[in-house]
Amino acid sequence: MTAVNTSRRDVGADDDQIGGRSLAIVVERLTKRYGGRTVVSELSFAARPGRVTGFLGPNGSGKSTTMKIMLDLASAESGRVTIGGRRYRELPDPAATVGALLESNAFHPGRNGRNHLRILADAGGADPGRVDEVLELVGLGDAADRRVGAYSLGMRQRLGFAGALLRDPPVLILDEPANGLDPKGIHEMRDLLRARAAQGHTVLVSSHLLGEVELLADDVVVVNQGRLVTSGPLGKLQEAATLVRASAPGHLRDLLEAEDAEVEDQGSALIVRGVPIEEIGQRAFDAGIALHELAPHAVSLEERVLRWTWDAERPQGDGAGEVPEP
Amino acid sequence: MTWTRQLRAELRKLTTTKMPWAFLAVLVAISATTASAVIWGTDFDGSKTFISTAADQRSLMAFAANATVIAGLFGAIAVAREYGHGTVIPTFLSSPRRHRAVLAQLAAVAVGGALVGLVGAALTVVAVAAALPTTEFGFMVSVAGVARVVAAASFAGAAGAVLGAGIGAVVRNTGGAVTGTVLALIIAPPLIVQLISDASSWVPSPLATALSGVEPEAAGVESQVGAVAAIVGLAAWAIVPAVIGLVSVQRRDVV
Repeated sequence: MTAVNTSRRDVGADDDQIGGRSLAIVVERLTKRYGGRTVVSELSFAARPGRVTGFLGPNGSGKSTTMKIMLDLASAESGRVTIGGRRYRELPDPAATVGALLESNAFHPGRNGRNHLRILADAGGADPGRVDEVLELVGLGDAADRRVGAYSLGMRQRLGFAGALLRDPPVLILDEPANGLDPKGIHEMRDLLRARAAQGHTVLVSSHLLGEVELLADDVVVVNQGRLVTSGPLGKLQEAATLVRASAPGHLRDLLEAEDAEVEDQGSALIVRGVPIEEIGQRAFDAGIALHELAPHAVSLEERVLRWTWDAERPQGDGAGEVPEP
Repeated sequence: MTWTRQLRAELRKLTTTKMPWAFLAVLVAISATTASAVIWGTDFDGSKTFISTAADQRSLMAFAANATVIAGLFGAIAVAREYGHGTVIPTFLSSPRRHRAVLAQLAAVAVGGALVGLVGAALTVVAVAAALPTTEFGFMVSVAGVARVVAAASFAGAAGAVLGAGIGAVVRNTGGAVTGTVLALIIAPPLIVQLISDASSWVPSPLATALSGVEPEAAGVESQVGAVAAIVGLAAWAIVPAVIGLVSVQRRDVV
């Protein structure tokens, strides 16, 4: 997938409904500056209904800022974000449409968990009976009347997650929801988010836990330094690559790139995606290039993301600014 | 989302932490101090002339000026802590058109401030009434006088709380908001009067005292404004920072 897309159709936002509760999140050419520093730059991507979209990037890459702009908590210099074709503030009932978890500590420490949710229920118009339901759902039923200040980080995450689920919204925007959760909590959250996506809901999740995203996400969006690095279906990004060692790697690279292959030069070897292993061998043979090694090469999401973000951080003239194709 | 639901949420915020109890403790301490003054206090000449007339007793019970300051701190803390704890995020998510959320906050703290004034005045009246039998003087203030003292404290409390809330919305930091409120209600008024002597009746404390029906002589001032003017004046002191706070949160990023 091309790194930067500009039109709503291009970013795949063709599922905009409000009555039908099928809502895509569409980010279009978003730019945000704080002072003279650009924290989000011309960012475009879409999170689609029925899919879990992992929003990945290193610290300070602009993920949280982008999420705040999605929710009208911050304004953009240019570009826009729509949910179901509308800005968040223009949604008929924002709290019923989007559930959000942005800060793991957005609680008054002296208030108990139940009262925190009652306040959200009051403000958002949720059924008061829903408070106990979501407390049970996230496993905080027994701790509901304890002060949030006495909660562990994982319990606070669960409480924040409960707040996001209070109105049973068709869109979830979650910033690092797995932070502080124990393995059981992560497993439960994963099942819950997968189930919501299976119901046609839109789920956007930022995370540093790339292994967890690999188990959770259908699509991924990778950003670095405020720019889109790549986006697309996780399965495609994880497509098996081929490791090639050849007598003329530069020539072979040119040949394969002419076939729309993605080729990473790792010094002594090429990592090739998008062209079957048999075709690589045939191309090399046809060009008279001796192959020293030709083997399947599995790469984890973590390795790929680290490589993308590392590549993007390299200084200009050393490959910087080249946006890898998934 | 209706505004009344937002108001209910804001009122629940105020009543689900220990902050109201802390302020109640302050009010109890002030009323106890007032009772102690009645029991053991004297004028310079050793007499108790400061409680010898109905006007003197009303002046002692007039809680409105205190209510302005205490409720001001209440409003400032209630709003500024929203930013400090990050609870303003779910507030603005529920009400992305932020003026509704801020108006609900202002209304809720006005109710809270009015209660601070009402409870503070009631406790002070009870303290004075309970302490007077230890002296040679009886309780001389009429029921209407007591009612006006309590009503004035309630209004002054609401106004002070709105003023503090406006400052809290602008400053967004509890310490800064408290400092700003103290500056606005305690430090700035004498300086304003120094600069503009005609303003002496229009700063919060004299306005609150006038609203309580305390006579100029008992209040130690040469002149004071009428009740309606006092209401307008106190309301103006509250509305100006509230409007500034309302405007300032509209487009500001929540970071």
